[in-house]
Amino acid sequence: MTTTKHIEMHGVRKAFRFFTLEDLSLELAPGQIMGFVGPNGAGKSTSIRLMTGLLTPDAGEVRVLGHAMPESQAVAKRDIGFVSDEMRLFAHATLGWHMRFVASIYPGWDAKYAQTLVKRFNLRPEQNVSGLSSGEHAKAVLLLALARRPRLLILDEPTSGLDPVARHEVLTEFMDVLRDEDRSILFSSHNTVDVERISDRIAFIDRGRLIESSDKEDFLERWRRIQLQMPAGTTVPDLPHVVSRVVDGQFVTLTTNRFSQDLLAFLGSNVREVHRMSLEEIFVANVMYHRETRGQ
Amino acid sequence: MNMLTRKLIAKEFYLNRWLIAGSTLAGLAGLLIAAEGEVRFNIGMLTWLTTIVAFGVVLAMLSIGNERKERTLQFVLSLPLAHGDYVRIKVIGLLLCFLVPWAILSAGAVTLISVMPNLPDGLLPFAVLLCGFCLANYSVVLCGALHTATEGLITILIIVTNMNVTLFIFMVGALPSLNSHLRAPAPVWNSTFWTVLAVELATLVITLSLPYFVAARRRDFN
Repeated sequence: MTTTKHIEMHGVRKAFRFFTLEDLSLELAPGQIMGFVGPNGAGKSTSIRLMTGLLTPDAGEVRVLGHAMPESQAVAKRDIGFVSDEMRLFAHATLGWHMRFVASIYPGWDAKYAQTLVKRFNLRPEQNVSGLSSGEHAKAVLLLALARRPRLLILDEPTSGLDPVARHEVLTEFMDVLRDEDRSILFSSHNTVDVERISDRIAFIDRGRLIESSDKEDFLERWRRIQLQMPAGTTVPDLPHVVSRVVDGQFVTLTTNRFSQDLLAFLGSNVREVHRMSLEEIFVANVMYHRETRGQ
Repeated sequence: MNMLTRKLIAKEFYLNRWLIAGSTLAGLAGLLIAAEGEVRFNIGMLTWLTTIVAFGVVLAMLSIGNERKERTLQFVLSLPLAHGDYVRIKVIGLLLCFLVPWAILSAGAVTLISVMPNLPDGLLPFAVLLCGFCLANYSVVLCGALHTATEGLITILIIVTNMNVTLFIFMVGALPSLNSHLRAPAPVWNSTFWTVLAVELATLVITLSLPYFVAARRRDFN
């Protein structure tokens, strides 16, 4: 039996005057959290706007929860909770009014869960939105999306305005959403610490192109930094899957995206240390490697 | 009208409730001043007219321009509706929001002219056309705001629609077939009156339909 993917993008292109999103293909299966990582201006928000029907692709296909976007966005958005760091609530209405408003539109609104989130996020429903701090506002927007109990949460930089404690609370809620295996989250950020903490799939995007998409564990297992001490007068030969090489006298640091015991055996006694890389290090090395390969 | 449409129209009334109430009260205050006699009539009617026109501009700018500028539009568009639905609901919702004070204040002005003994009933056709103009002018503002994303164009739109008021009073009010009956003891509903009213209605229909064919078909919504 084939399960409908929650997000499917195939060969998507969207051109603007100074930026083009090129040939984007991406899939998100039910039950997954995908961290969508890229530097500022990489195309994360454009991709998300295409997924939510706000933009129409120039080429390619976008399907969300099995619905073609943007044509069937009204139906698809019944099961999507979309939050963006740019999204603002109505300043002169209270949070309570927003909660009643959203509850009246979504039959699946979970009033008990909404009250739990109000307490957990330390929000006051009777308070006007104009009086909320930026962190409280971000949490209020998340509350309105989470209490709909959507099958798919699309979050564009949802933690960017939050302090570390609030970020921890919010990320814990995201994990909670995934207890139901039919739900999924696409979570864009340039904060790789958050992404590493909660995602099980990662997609890296840079300058309008998807550079790599894989399981988080796969990234963490494949990427290594190897420090070598070469005998005087020798150099490291060209090796496949080495994305960067930094030479400092006798010392050479290699970064590989296909680490294996065979590689270690080949390098032999020259190896001094092998480091696992953090997602941030992998992200930066990956971006720089692809920029070099594309001659950018 | 489906549930989502009703909820979003109710949202427009809720968010603009103080503006609607305040404008209605200000317009009624203008009518009360106008009722105090011939000298204060012009001051009162000017207050009445300014209130209706300004209300229309502020309503459209707050509900469309600010929704974009303050990025509440993203919240609205996260709800289960398509671009076309958004435009349709905006047109209906903001038209209804305008119609409440407009209907009260227009009825008030017509009643005032009819019952004030020292005011000629010949003013009635012009008053009706002025009320029709206010509605048509609002529909131009609404249509423009739905098609315009930049603040500069919105400012030009506000200036143009405000200039329209002066142009209407001086051009339509100066039409001999209307002007000559202004001081008549009974209203004269002649062909000039019906022609101007038809132009106002046509403006209303065109400007309220245009968003369905242009703004609602926009490929990108930001």
